[in-house]
Amino acid sequence: MWSYTLRRALATLPTLLAVITVCYLMLHATPGGPFDGERKVSAAVLANLQAKYHLDLPLWQQYLLYLKSLLQGDLGASFRYADWSVNDLVANAMPVSLAIGGGSMLISLVIGIGLGIVAALRQNSVVDHGVMLIGNIGSAFPSFVIGPVLILVFAIWLKWLPAGGWDSFQPRFMVLPVALLTFINVATIGRVMRGSLIEVLHSNFIRTARAKGLPTRVVVLRHALKPALLPVVSVIGPLAISSITAALVTETVFSLPGLGKLIVNGAGNRDYTLVLGLVVMITVLAVLLNLLVDLAYAWLDPKIRY
Amino acid sequence: MSFSTRKSAFAVALAAAFSIPSLAAVIPAGTQLHATQTLIRNNGSEPETLDPALAESVGANNITRDVFEGLTANDNTGKTVPGVAESWKQTDLTTWVFKLRANAKWSNGDPVTAEDFVFGIRRFMDPKTASVYANTFGIFLLNGVEVVKGTKPPAELGVKALDRLTLEVKTPYPVSFLPALMTNNNLGPIHKASLEKNGKDWTKPGNLVSNGAYVLKEWQVNNRVVIEKNPQYWDAANVQLTKVTYLPIEDGTADVKMFESGENEWVYQLPPGTYEKSKAQFPKENRNAPMIGIRYYSLQNKNPAFADVRVRKALSMVIDRDILSQRVTADGQAPAYSLMVAGVEGASATPYEWATWPMDRRVAEAKKLLEQAGVKPGTKYTFSYNTSEYHKKMAVFAASEWKTKLGLNIETETMEFKVLLKKRHDGDFQMARNGWLADYNDATTFLALVKCDSDNNNNFNCNRQAEALIDQGSQSADPVKRKALLTQASKMIMDDYPMIPLLQYSLPRLVKAYVGGYSLENAQDRFRSKDLFIIKH
Repeated sequence: MWSYTLRRALATLPTLLAVITVCYLMLHATPGGPFDGERKVSAAVLANLQAKYHLDLPLWQQYLLYLKSLLQGDLGASFRYADWSVNDLVANAMPVSLAIGGGSMLISLVIGIGLGIVAALRQNSVVDHGVMLIGNIGSAFPSFVIGPVLILVFAIWLKWLPAGGWDSFQPRFMVLPVALLTFINVATIGRVMRGSLIEVLHSNFIRTARAKGLPTRVVVLRHALKPALLPVVSVIGPLAISSITAALVTETVFSLPGLGKLIVNGAGNRDYTLVLGLVVMITVLAVLLNLLVDLAYAWLDPKIRY
Repeated sequence: MSFSTRKSAFAVALAAAFSIPSLAAVIPAGTQLHATQTLIRNNGSEPETLDPALAESVGANNITRDVFEGLTANDNTGKTVPGVAESWKQTDLTTWVFKLRANAKWSNGDPVTAEDFVFGIRRFMDPKTASVYANTFGIFLLNGVEVVKGTKPPAELGVKALDRLTLEVKTPYPVSFLPALMTNNNLGPIHKASLEKNGKDWTKPGNLVSNGAYVLKEWQVNNRVVIEKNPQYWDAANVQLTKVTYLPIEDGTADVKMFESGENEWVYQLPPGTYEKSKAQFPKENRNAPMIGIRYYSLQNKNPAFADVRVRKALSMVIDRDILSQRVTADGQAPAYSLMVAGVEGASATPYEWATWPMDRRVAEAKKLLEQAGVKPGTKYTFSYNTSEYHKKMAVFAASEWKTKLGLNIETETMEFKVLLKKRHDGDFQMARNGWLADYNDATTFLALVKCDSDNNNNFNCNRQAEALIDQGSQSADPVKRKALLTQASKMIMDDYPMIPLLQYSLPRLVKAYVGGYSLENAQDRFRSKDLFIIKH
């Protein structure tokens, strides 16, 4: 398994290079540059700005310069936020996104899997319908609807929690955004878990376990749970990435200083280095999560060996 | 620019020294102050920098205005008042002398000197600094354009320290509004020693040495900037607010929600379409003031479709600004029929004579003009705007006016803002949404939109005759004559219909009723926190 992990880690390098190259070219090909503002800068000022950010060099030379600084762990200077390097910006936003996205993923897994199991075991009961209803609401209502409703109830009417903002990991600022993401993720995880467990519970090996006279608790926890988790594990990867890096709506609704806001503003401002830096981080994160998912498969499914 | 100075024409009256006592936070008699003097104000966006030389956005300038202080400043009614300079005088047509106050200090206790201004302004214009605004203000300083271009060294800029507390500023031609121009923090002082010591981190909390009423305490990107009262500030005794927190919330709905829940006391701008509802819901907090700025549509004058002035005039005539203002945008903006808006100094508004005509007459005239120009009903024009509900509403209205009243076929295309900017700068459009907020309160900021060869002329129009009047006006030391010439030039240009003026900007927002010092006369929305205070509540 170690050699597999190493091979997979090495295989990410060409992926990363391809992602950077494509993203680099696309960014530079997009109309409008970092210095196209409401006030057009004079030719002299534009020349000064381009020289400052090496945009006066041929594209291939800029690209090589970028790769060189990337190898040294330097994501470059932000085009928009003059006082910060991209490393600073990412380092500030990453913990916020990890806390909100990662926290909600952990809670969603516990609740989603729990609810999925209950619903599957009590198929077509009131409990099952209740869980499915939550699942459908979570899937049908977009976060920009649920978020403001949460704010209205808990921040404006009840005044229990703040409507937004962030204050050094204080839990009261995290409750509502984590709740929103959890609600959405639980809906997906719960539905997948329910469907998968129902299918597994109808398999021959479960029938055999029951025939041997094992109690339901043992049948479910020891025999059915592991194989039923496989589809859940498959959705965890993309779900976690979107919760951590693309939670733009959550960040906007709750005014959080996370990665989603940075990347959207970065793209809008044509902040080439910021967008590239974030793309690099997200690619690394995605590759890492996919690797973990693959390793989890091996643990869950005895048929899989690396 | 080649403006000659004629000292003989210089009016003696202008040599008089100006000295206006400045008091921060004018508190009306009988007002009881709250025990805690703190304020949370949303700034609308993350400041791109806190380096005054590089600041370009409204958000960044709001903070640098609190943390730094230039020669002059704007008070809460927008008036130009003394800043570090306690007085100034114009010694000849193109020379100004500013006398700095002796008790002005940096936050580390060092005195603020004329050399700090020389360093700050030279650095701002230096090509190595690459400031976006260098040319905007560089044109008003002697050798400014050349320094920005790199053809002259920054040392040759027309800014000189005559002694420790006296600064001389030379302009290439008479700039009667120089004191107003100097309110911009780009043209302020910089503490050289701390900048050199901390390098690119000089603006970070703990490193930033500043001379304003406040010092930087905390800066969390996309979260908040916290400033606290600067005990070293020369007018600290009159500064009421002890701590101000700037939020960078861009989303108007989130902004209002935080206002409602009490975590924000100053909504930057109400979200589109909510003004009337908000007025009813928050009658005491709702504040809406006109701004020195104009919403307009650019016509690409070099495009063959708009080569004929009659076509451009017809398109402008039929848009009902009253309906646009009252029903479509419905946020308290005034209709505009002129390049100059209400409140701008240095030129008067020159509304079109048809502005008062009934719409039927306007439409009949516009149809006649199109017919004379050979434009057939069904002729296609393309209108470009950047994706936004607000701009979409306006575009749909304008397109429907042109279609229903003139029978034209209008195709609207929406795009990302940067793409629209690029198209506007390159002239790659037929009609495009546009807008302008004054950088300083003088007619020249608006004339930049229509002057020949101006970087900000997106209409690509040019009227050499009017240009001559502008040059003549700029050289005049007589403010009355200058105003008359610039007004005449503005009218002459607008009679060519290079663009379609639509509305004068206003800024509808919410400010808690207990925030004192807020004024509806501040047409550039420049509120120093030192002018604000919290009333007992």
